[in-house]
Amino acid sequence: MSGFSTGLWAAVSAALLVCGAASAAAAQDAAAATGTLPGGVTYELRADRAQSGAAVALWYRAPAGGFDAPAAPGLSRLAATTVSASAPISGTPLAQLVERFGGRLSVAAYPDSVAITALVPPDRVAQTVRAMTADFFAPVVTAPGFAVAQRDVGEDALLRSVEPDVIEDALGAALFASGPFHDGTLPTAKLGDVKVERVRAFAERAFRPGNAILILAGNVDAAALKSVAARSGDTSPRSPEAAVTPAPATRTPETEPLQRTGVISGSGLGWLGPPIADERGATALDFLADALFAPRTGMVARALAGRKATVTGKFVTYHDPGVFLVTITGDEAATARPIVEKAVAAAAAPMAPEAFAAARAGFVYRLLAAMNTPAEVADTYGWYAVEGDPAYAPAEGGLQGRYFSLAAALTPADVAQAAARYLGVPPAVVTFAKRPPSPPKAPA
Amino acid sequence: MIAALAAAALAAATAAPVVAAAPRTAVIDLGGARAYSHADQASPLAAVELFVRAGLDRQTSRQSGIAALVAETVLRTPVDPGPGFGQAVPLVDAVDAHGASIGYVVSAQHVRFYLEGTPDGLAAAAPLVARALAGPAFDTATIAAARAVLAARSADEEGDPRFVGLQLLRSSYYRGPAGLPALGDAGSVAALGPADAKAFFARWYLRGDAFVAAVGRTGDVTDAAGRALVHALAPGTAPAAALATRPFGAQPKRIVTHRDVAATYVVLGFAAPALGDRDFPAALVLRALLAGVFERPGATTLPPVFRAAGTLYGYDAAPAQLVLWINGSQLDPELGLTGIDTLLKRAAAKPLTAAVLSRYKETARGAWTLETVSLDQRAFAVGNAVAHGLDADVTDAVGGAIARVTAADVQRVAKKYFQRFDVALVMPRATEN
Repeated sequence: MSGFSTGLWAAVSAALLVCGAASAAAAQDAAAATGTLPGGVTYELRADRAQSGAAVALWYRAPAGGFDAPAAPGLSRLAATTVSASAPISGTPLAQLVERFGGRLSVAAYPDSVAITALVPPDRVAQTVRAMTADFFAPVVTAPGFAVAQRDVGEDALLRSVEPDVIEDALGAALFASGPFHDGTLPTAKLGDVKVERVRAFAERAFRPGNAILILAGNVDAAALKSVAARSGDTSPRSPEAAVTPAPATRTPETEPLQRTGVISGSGLGWLGPPIADERGATALDFLADALFAPRTGMVARALAGRKATVTGKFVTYHDPGVFLVTITGDEAATARPIVEKAVAAAAAPMAPEAFAAARAGFVYRLLAAMNTPAEVADTYGWYAVEGDPAYAPAEGGLQGRYFSLAAALTPADVAQAAARYLGVPPAVVTFAKRPPSPPKAPA
Repeated sequence: MIAALAAAALAAATAAPVVAAAPRTAVIDLGGARAYSHADQASPLAAVELFVRAGLDRQTSRQSGIAALVAETVLRTPVDPGPGFGQAVPLVDAVDAHGASIGYVVSAQHVRFYLEGTPDGLAAAAPLVARALAGPAFDTATIAAARAVLAARSADEEGDPRFVGLQLLRSSYYRGPAGLPALGDAGSVAALGPADAKAFFARWYLRGDAFVAAVGRTGDVTDAAGRALVHALAPGTAPAAALATRPFGAQPKRIVTHRDVAATYVVLGFAAPALGDRDFPAALVLRALLAGVFERPGATTLPPVFRAAGTLYGYDAAPAQLVLWINGSQLDPELGLTGIDTLLKRAAAKPLTAAVLSRYKETARGAWTLETVSLDQRAFAVGNAVAHGLDADVTDAVGGAIARVTAADVQRVAKKYFQRFDVALVMPRATEN
């Protein structure tokens, strides 16, 4: 055990307790599925007792590259994985504890947020809540944990480097002049220079209870909220803190595409979209992304007619603005691009009613099917809560909820209007040229 | 003080675990067949899975791939999606247009058609599926389309060394056509024509051997969908048939193959107790031990490509098979093989310590619980139990049975099942010479 964790250990020991008594009142109120615990932890509890498993997730608003300049993309993941791999007061790192429960632990970093999600059996929810909140609310950062996390970040980057993900990440730099979207989430050489002190500083600033959104989904019980750890003194309700992620600065798309090299070749097209507050506009672009880019049955898949190209498209509902991202890869990516652009341009004309009805039915189903497991449900709530509109989360209220009511009310004209407004301008473009494959170096 | 508080909280948490309100499976008479309905009314989706007794073992040895070809042909059969859609489209696209999806899995004894959608989508799609099931288009064009899809899927699976090894070991373990590749191989499927497909369908797609598992938002919609699917099949039953296996030799049989894979994988195939067998829970504990023995501490759950070892438990068949793979990019294959051999000999020679037993029982129980989190997994769990003549809710009981496993149970299972095995070596083509 290295010295740098010892000082923090003492601080943590003095400050942290499991708030069984402190949060009892809050837990009694937890029939209401949303609330705030002492210390400012926001929670979303969505129980489905027929589920065999349960998800426990912590979401934080935090820039992927860190709070300080220069940004080090990958830092938020590195910090979260360092904490999950470091031995805390209880002696067992969170990752090992979840593994022992037969569960699965994942960390996902986005430009403006980071999520830690455990899928566990129902009778281990309380222990997981206790361990996860204790570990993250007063993060312990150890040298062995840092080393394990560095390897994890390197492996994650390796996997993502062969996926269209890498193009989507680069589109942030083409769409934004600065900020977390510009910096992206994939590690660069800068992450290799990051020392453990910076990881600890990031963890202490980002993972505070006041910045946390706790999601419990699946076979869970409100009683699990009694296991949330809190710092001593955090016994009275406190409002969640304001977002700590800086607002992004958009840029005018360049005439020339942004050039990158990578393990894959292809191109990316990016447009700015509506903010999450424009729920109708955001829903229209979600629908459009599915209608255009659904595998096999989407308009683009049909127009490509068997060409050797993989095309993905999605609208990402960020706080402000959202982004519409398209990637084109594969042997015939170059010939596929004009087909994609033509399909996107054609979306400004309203669809025929029958085709629209079929596309909407497929869209609604695919979205619901992507929220099938407790971890997927937790992801949905976490994302929309972090971006500032949890009531608009597609998982909320099912087909009668706000999101799917908006989807049901969409008309061909609405969608065409949204396409014309947001996709009718020249996109930001990224092109990726292939370089000989070599695994990216793990940081440090 | 803090430790005491933490310990007290931990004790409280473990003393009052959340008890799963396990919904029991209801049996519904569909008229000539049964549906097993496992509700989750909080789910916005509903699904039915049709089990047809037309799996691999119904093929002849020269018909490798016919079970998959027929199933794929059903999905490619043109149907009219309904008013306003225009011309007929393949079933799989027609189902999509109504807000649903359909897929299938071919196993040793069954082919399973899984239809999932919003309740409205399921209601609209089920009659289309029934139409295709009642009369698949065994014409040259549809068969060719089905063949092309199978070829693409086979190529995908060939890139995964774990599945390459699994297939080699299945062929080595199961006698007859049950050991053939689920999707056939390029040569055999190319030789199969419309007449083969039509004959296979007519002989084995029978209502009397079929049943349905319904999950999610079950009710009138799933009952009607199940009824439509089952009644699309011709009446009648086919002779029952049991799977047969080959005995293991005193020395492991070694099968070597070279494929377009990035690293060498060593894959071991064991006989394993089937679902419902009294040794099944102890085998799950041993599985957890085998899968975890080489793992380094991680920060998150590692994806398979970065794991040193893992297992695939084929309890969809009885007798069952457990396959253990060792990833040569993470662990020296020779060391891994030696390590596994040593571990299994020790497990058979003396009981696990209480601490080790407790540790892996917990992992096994949790992992088992989490095998049924998605709707398709739940449909499989219910249907697989019924297919093997077990209570539809037997999956729920396995967790409790794992908790009761003793060190003697694990030792007995290690002795009985895990001392003999076959080995498949899946090596990159570059090392062919």
